[in-house]
Amino acid sequence: MELLDFARGPALQFGLYAFVIGTVWRILGILLLAAKPDHSAARKAGGFMAALKVIYTRSFTADAFKQDTLYPKILGYLLHIGLFVTVFLFVPHILFFKGLIGLEWPGLPNNIIFFVGVITAGVGVALLVRRLTNPVLKLISNFDDYFSWLVTMAPIITGIIIPIRFGVRYETLLAVHILSVALLLTWLPFGKLAHAFLVFFSRGTTGLVLERRGAKT
Amino acid sequence: MKQKPTLGEVLQAKGVSRRGFLKYCAATASLLALPPAMVPRIAQALEAARRPSVIWLSFQECTGCTESLTRSSSPTLEGLIFDSISLDYHHTLQAASGEAAEAARHAAMEENRGNYLVLVDGSIPLGNPGFSTIAGISNVDMLTETVADAAAVVAIGSCAAFGGIPGANPNPTGAVSVSDLVTDKPVVNVPGCPPIPTVITAVLTQFLTFGQLPDLDHYGRPRAFYGQTIHDRCYRRPFYEQGRFAETFDDEGARKGWCLYKLGCKGPITYNACATVKWNQGTSFPIESGHPCLGCSEPDFWDDGGFYRPVSTARIGGGAAFGTAVAAGAAIGVAAAAMSRRRQQKTIKEG
Amino acid sequence: MSTSKVGYDDVYDLQSKRLSVKKPEVRYDKQGDMADDERVEKAMLHFVKDFGSMAATYLDTCVHCGICAEACHYYKVTGDPKYTPIWKLEPFKQAYKREASPFAFFYRLLGLKKKLTVEELEEWQHLLYDSCTVCGRCSLICPMGIDIASMISLARHGMFKAGLVPHELHAVAERAEVDGSPLGVTPTVFADRLEWMEDEHEVDINVDQEQADVLVVMSSIEIQKYPQSMAATAKILNAAGENWTFRTDGFEATNFGMLSGNAEWQRDMSMRVIDAAVKIGAKKLILPECGHAYMALRWMGANMYGKPLPFEVVHISEYLAETLNSGKIKVNKVDTSVAYHDPCQVSRRGGATQAARDVLGHLGVEQREMKPSGDYNWCCGGGGGVVTIHRADDLRYKVFKIKMDQVEETEADELITSCANCRQTFDDGQEHFHWKYTMGSLLELVAENLEEDKQ
Repeated sequence: MELLDFARGPALQFGLYAFVIGTVWRILGILLLAAKPDHSAARKAGGFMAALKVIYTRSFTADAFKQDTLYPKILGYLLHIGLFVTVFLFVPHILFFKGLIGLEWPGLPNNIIFFVGVITAGVGVALLVRRLTNPVLKLISNFDDYFSWLVTMAPIITGIIIPIRFGVRYETLLAVHILSVALLLTWLPFGKLAHAFLVFFSRGTTGLVLERRGAKT
Repeated sequence: MKQKPTLGEVLQAKGVSRRGFLKYCAATASLLALPPAMVPRIAQALEAARRPSVIWLSFQECTGCTESLTRSSSPTLEGLIFDSISLDYHHTLQAASGEAAEAARHAAMEENRGNYLVLVDGSIPLGNPGFSTIAGISNVDMLTETVADAAAVVAIGSCAAFGGIPGANPNPTGAVSVSDLVTDKPVVNVPGCPPIPTVITAVLTQFLTFGQLPDLDHYGRPRAFYGQTIHDRCYRRPFYEQGRFAETFDDEGARKGWCLYKLGCKGPITYNACATVKWNQGTSFPIESGHPCLGCSEPDFWDDGGFYRPVSTARIGGGAAFGTAVAAGAAIGVAAAAMSRRRQQKTIKEG
Repeated sequence: MSTSKVGYDDVYDLQSKRLSVKKPEVRYDKQGDMADDERVEKAMLHFVKDFGSMAATYLDTCVHCGICAEACHYYKVTGDPKYTPIWKLEPFKQAYKREASPFAFFYRLLGLKKKLTVEELEEWQHLLYDSCTVCGRCSLICPMGIDIASMISLARHGMFKAGLVPHELHAVAERAEVDGSPLGVTPTVFADRLEWMEDEHEVDINVDQEQADVLVVMSSIEIQKYPQSMAATAKILNAAGENWTFRTDGFEATNFGMLSGNAEWQRDMSMRVIDAAVKIGAKKLILPECGHAYMALRWMGANMYGKPLPFEVVHISEYLAETLNSGKIKVNKVDTSVAYHDPCQVSRRGGATQAARDVLGHLGVEQREMKPSGDYNWCCGGGGGVVTIHRADDLRYKVFKIKMDQVEETEADELITSCANCRQTFDDGQEHFHWKYTMGSLLELVAENLEEDKQ
């Protein structure tokens, strides 16, 4: 049980601290850079609502682009839905969050979570294959892309293995799973996975800048 | 020296039928995960076995382990088996006291040098030898002296196996387990608070039958009994898979017998035979009576952050530390932005 | 300030379908005589200047999904991954990570992002200038909502300071800064051509009035190549009864300072027009059929001025829609079908997508939309200064094929746009491919069909 104690205790604690520090660091480090006011006469009301609008609307693909982006978009949706379901709707996870923030919500049966987890892992593999074979992705990918893939997939894979067991003791698998989560938390704010929170600022900025022009967002 | 009666003779004298005896042997074989073909061998070995000398040492303990073995509403076969060993020294059970008792221990050690078993319940305080003494002898001294010529040591209960409740945080007596002190003899841990009586006797049976100690896991526990988790063998497992949980001890889920995971059940990380062997002559085990498993056969079960905290809850510090983390992140972020802006200003000035 | 090797005389190729400097015998795609290290240093320093919170938010959020490639006409026609929009920003992004990102300190300390080399920057000159029209389709496809196009414009600032602008674009920008026009339209030339149009089209053209409610500006492309635009503009403004004028001290709408990446020149060019408008007390500035002028003055003008402009800025298509909607001018119905090509900077980037469609509605033509059209329209391939660059021609013709297919699919009788730069790109493409479609002007279409009795 020592490994599990380490994982659930110091390792996870480190991960959460790194996550919190890194997130605040990165957001402030970006937002506190110089900003220029826009003096142009607005065509439409912009502001906070415009930011919210684009944060929402950019979740969907414009018709003009649907055909050309179908495959990566489907993979993208599946990955994110899969991550949401497995991370937030698995009962032991909900209890973990309850322990952290005191809130609880209904979960899904384990077999559904397991099924979604396997699909998500498959999607992850498909995304990696795409990154390794698509000429555009091959060109623009760097260490961050591959490492971020790894630390995202690690908790999914280790999570799927837990019920299968493969003859390994449960608490060892659980500890490895939690360690992989600690690694994910530690890396998240520092690499591209930070889009988990930066996407709101990025889309929001576009909403603020372009919506007041009445331009397409 | 008078030849000791064999186990078979003793059992016969006590009126145990051949049929009852074989039934016990079959049950033991199945517990030990031995093939049925081994049953006659067990029977043969047990019948022929001379009553082995056993010295039982009790240190920082509550006598619960002894109670577990002896407090049965009706005499059991395993109880009889236990009676049949030559229990030469046991604080609670022996008639002798004082000098006579210690003399009995020394005599048993002398007579069975290299062959006797030492059973220990309770942990050993190292903080101060005076914390726990017997006949003026500190626990650690008595253990060291007694195990010196023993064939093997069996640590009965979680205190002897892992330090148990006396060893729980902040461990005021500096309690340690048997295996912390005994490193040159085989030590079998039979943890539990208390351990299942059947498990204790089965371990002894195996020793008597094969003259060897059982296959042990990384905590020194016999794999035959500690090889699977409570969760894996729990009759409520299907509810866990279906996501049906008791939220409180008196809700509908609790009444319907749904999974106790949310109420802090340690079944998933607890290795013991409760769910199969059960307690009180196979009547039930804690989860069957509606209470989550406490994980009593695991090390440090007392310090696992609370019996009612779910297994998946993080064992980490509180909110104040996160406030500090936010402040630290903010400080670094502000500094990083300020540094970049200063570099920018410098650039603009230099043109 | 770096100097161009292009002389003043005989520099312009005014006979060709698209206007630029003449095809250079020897290319000077590196300006000034800086050492390579100094160029890199300059580029980095001036990249750094633009790393505000907006650029930082965008550059830090990219997840390398590569989806932007699908929006880019250069990638679509070549399949070459280097045309992936976000890859065009790679040096800019590297500089950001190293110099201004929240983790810049560690990037520098640990040497995680190497300093760029001048060879890399030269390679990226092709990507940032020759193969990006700043059309902004990529900005719409990005799942992270990154406005890639605006980053391209910022990245060009550093390139300019490093003297790494394509020969022709640098030349026309420099001419625009020095002469007030990228195509040799001095105030005298402008006045002459106005006079010519006044006679030719028998229309009153107001020039250099001391006071006027409306200041109208023109692009040099129109002045040199489509001078009838000036007459058409005058005809419509007169019909609408506006108190308007052209000014010889502020007539040039194009902004090659912006396109080439020289922020100071961009300001100079915008301020000429803004100063003229302020001087005459204009309440309205009407921009001509020019896409990037709309970006430069409608959306960036006030920021050059440093405060809100004391007048309204509208594109001519917006003005036409406004006057037609209000009934100030009327047009005869035209029995034809029209495919309207949206200028990127007016429609997608500028937000005036509907105006041209309103105008076409008043004309009663059958509107045949391209697929896609409006905000998602494919760029003509000539924007962002690309049309001036001779070495980019082959690539430009390739992307023009997309446009041709789009137009042909509509089977419309006529092809109309509201941007002289798109128009010359179409004219050039038409000549190159011997294509049947001739690009027309929305402004001229309205002027030709104006109900004269309304005057």
